Amino acid sequence: MDLKSPSQIVGALAIGALLIAACGSDDVSPASTDAAVDESTQDAEVDATADAGVVTVYTGRHYGIEPVFDEFTAATGIEVRFTTGNDPELRERLVAEGANTPADVVMTADASNIELAAAAGLLAPLTSDVLTSTIPEELRSASGEWFTLSERARVIISSTERVDDPPTTYAGVGDPAWDGRICLRPSTHPYTQSLVASLVMAEGEERATEIVQSWVDNEPLYINSDTDIYKAVADGECDIAIANTYYLGRLLTEDPTFPVQIVWPEQDGRGAHVNVSTAAVTANAPNPENGQALIEWLATDGQAQFANVNFEYPADPAVAPDPIVAAWGEFKADLAAVRDLGANQPTAVEILDTTGYE
Amino acid sequence: MFGIAARRVGPAAATALVTTVVAAAAIPVMVIVWSIAQPNTDVWRQLWETRLPDMLRDTATLLVTVLAGTLVLGTGLAWLVTAYRFPGQRILGRLLVTPLAIPGYVLGFVWLDTLQEPLGARSVRSIWVCALVLILTLYPYVYLFARAAFREQSQRMVDIARNLGCSRTQTFWRVVLPMARPSLAGGSAIVGMEVLTDVGTVRLFNVSTIADGVLRVWFGTGDRNAAAELSVLLIGVAVVLIAGERLARGRARYTQRGDPQGLRSLRLRGLGAAGASLLAWSVFAIAVALPLARLITWADEAQRTDQTATVAGDLVFHVVSSLRVAVSATIVCLLLGLLLAAGLQRGRGRERCAARLATLGYAVPGPVVALGVLITLAALDRTGWLPDRWLLVGSFIGLVYAFAVRFLAVAYQGIEASLGKVSPSVVASARTLGAGRARVAARIQLPLASAGIVAATVLVAIDTLKELPITLLLRPFGTDTLPIWVWQATSESLWVQAAVPSLAIVALGMLLVGALLWTLDHGAEAIS
Repeated sequence: MDLKSPSQIVGALAIGALLIAACGSDDVSPASTDAAVDESTQDAEVDATADAGVVTVYTGRHYGIEPVFDEFTAATGIEVRFTTGNDPELRERLVAEGANTPADVVMTADASNIELAAAAGLLAPLTSDVLTSTIPEELRSASGEWFTLSERARVIISSTERVDDPPTTYAGVGDPAWDGRICLRPSTHPYTQSLVASLVMAEGEERATEIVQSWVDNEPLYINSDTDIYKAVADGECDIAIANTYYLGRLLTEDPTFPVQIVWPEQDGRGAHVNVSTAAVTANAPNPENGQALIEWLATDGQAQFANVNFEYPADPAVAPDPIVAAWGEFKADLAAVRDLGANQPTAVEILDTTGYE
Repeated sequence: MFGIAARRVGPAAATALVTTVVAAAAIPVMVIVWSIAQPNTDVWRQLWETRLPDMLRDTATLLVTVLAGTLVLGTGLAWLVTAYRFPGQRILGRLLVTPLAIPGYVLGFVWLDTLQEPLGARSVRSIWVCALVLILTLYPYVYLFARAAFREQSQRMVDIARNLGCSRTQTFWRVVLPMARPSLAGGSAIVGMEVLTDVGTVRLFNVSTIADGVLRVWFGTGDRNAAAELSVLLIGVAVVLIAGERLARGRARYTQRGDPQGLRSLRLRGLGAAGASLLAWSVFAIAVALPLARLITWADEAQRTDQTATVAGDLVFHVVSSLRVAVSATIVCLLLGLLLAAGLQRGRGRERCAARLATLGYAVPGPVVALGVLITLAALDRTGWLPDRWLLVGSFIGLVYAFAVRFLAVAYQGIEASLGKVSPSVVASARTLGAGRARVAARIQLPLASAGIVAATVLVAIDTLKELPITLLLRPFGTDTLPIWVWQATSESLWVQAAVPSLAIVALGMLLVGALLWTLDHGAEAIS
């Protein structure tokens, strides 16, 4: 390091910057997503403005999406550029980018985050006969901004070895009989927040607070992973728990005798709480037509693959779920609540805070 | 360096350059701080009545425990391998640095899964296990600083103390340790910052710190302002911590001595040797060997059950992405660190303030830095100053900039500390002999401080290699690094699938640790 003049210092910095710019210009993802991009947009730094062959996706749902996108490209010739992340952060990115956003489509792993994006004016309403005919009305936003692609049921699970009469309502999990025997996901997770939001809607804020308080009084073991919650029930760390069904699908593929069963809750009432994976076209999409094409494809030709790769329930009731999922039987789902989960999430967070839910 | 600039183009240009760097580094954090201009009192009141007391308690407990643990473990081990000779001492001296290569979030999920059975799922999720994991990943910072400090000490001082009637133990407590105090404070400051800003490890163990609370509020309520306000609280704690470090350092200023001999080490025999060996090997086993063995088992399982099928071909791709980001960010941090160190050399009030401003990004959790940079870059994108269709958000340059905001502190502190150790009398002699400032910088200061500068650079490189939250939010399409791959798998609790990228991070980190050790060993020789 022998810098003799300011011009050399500046030069060294400039070289550094140049090196970076040079390094940054050969961005090629493994799916070689640049293939169909024309010469002038090969730089990763260059905004993807209108381009017939590309659709750009921000997705908070990242499990197993790459093969699905590959299928879409094979079927339509449209390349998919995507980046994964946490739903709230991707929403901040859309807000910050404003009119400059390269994103055509935003996909979330839960209903609240897409509602917040819609409320912030980040989404464009779609007019699509394909989507309105395949996706049930309660699974898309009233003003047509977002569409559910798959459902995830959050249910009561119990040990097949140690439990004979598991609770059949979410409130039942707070019964003193289960003191010290339950596992729950911490309040930081959207799954927990959205479940409590559904309680607020069905039972009112006061009753919802009582229910959450009764869970807390049972001194749950908080585990920040549904897979580990299933394992904890199997290992006898707890006897019952609340978890999403699709993790059981994965565990059963590894071990068909996994000793945990699903108990469908609220079957005499509103039905089991479901949350949804959603997709929407952004308000400032450079290629909105491609965005709409992707969402329509995911709701039709790609529907089975999208939902079944993760053992979820297809949003289109006409599409059959994975055989492992089908074996759990039919159940009543609380679909009516889906649209308003987002609006009730702040109350849910407040309840979780005041009851001392970890 | 600064001197020449001052002479040829006038101080104004040089000051402008340094000011630009300081501003560029500070603005993203300032954007966050600015949010308290519109305080959200509702969220504060609710937090104060509910979770904030617990957050403060958990943060304080974790901070104190990890600081104490790393100080004892780091200093103790450094003293053990410097002052004593025992079987394996030479190799252990090096191996004990290697936990640096393992990200806390990787060590966290490995130990969480491993201890689940013996301890039970309930007991393993505790602040104490979390503290233990953090101590094991962070003690090398103290160890490195302490070992360097012990190595630089003079046997003459020890001899004098012994002649004056101090026992070996008394000499350690009254002479050796006080002399090493500035270094220990420096290492502890890094540890403190890492603990305060950690958001990956704490969540695995249900520990709700302030940093975790920032994400809880931001993600849970969608209220970015309230989250930003909590970050400001965090910056406050960090400022107290830095003040504490300055206080611990005191006015003390220790420079390199001329005694090439260093401390004489004592040969341990029998039980003593066996005990020392066993202790050091166990730390290495718990922090590195066992977790690695577990990861290798998982990687093997992933291979056998074909769980890497979709990504196996991507290993090279992810490694290349990681290297590109780490190398670019490290070069930029090094250059900016040198520039700041040169420009702010005199360390007067205003300059010290500027240095602290430029390094604020290290006191804020990664996701918050990422948000600050995102807002800053998006504002620039909207100005229309950039060439048509060029955007900074989601660009490689934007990503590297965010890394610089976060890690400039590590480079700058290291460079500043090494330059500070060059004895002023050596510099003064050279100046008296007629050498200009530039010549002194090029021929005396930089060469004498080169080992420290390289060491700081390697520390930055290791940090950038492990970085997750900034990369997650700001990476360009197609720049998926190894930590992103780990995140994809661990956010679904697919530990087995996380094993291969974790091992790749550790392998690259080990290479860097090797480079670090080589520099430290050879640098020491070159200087003495």
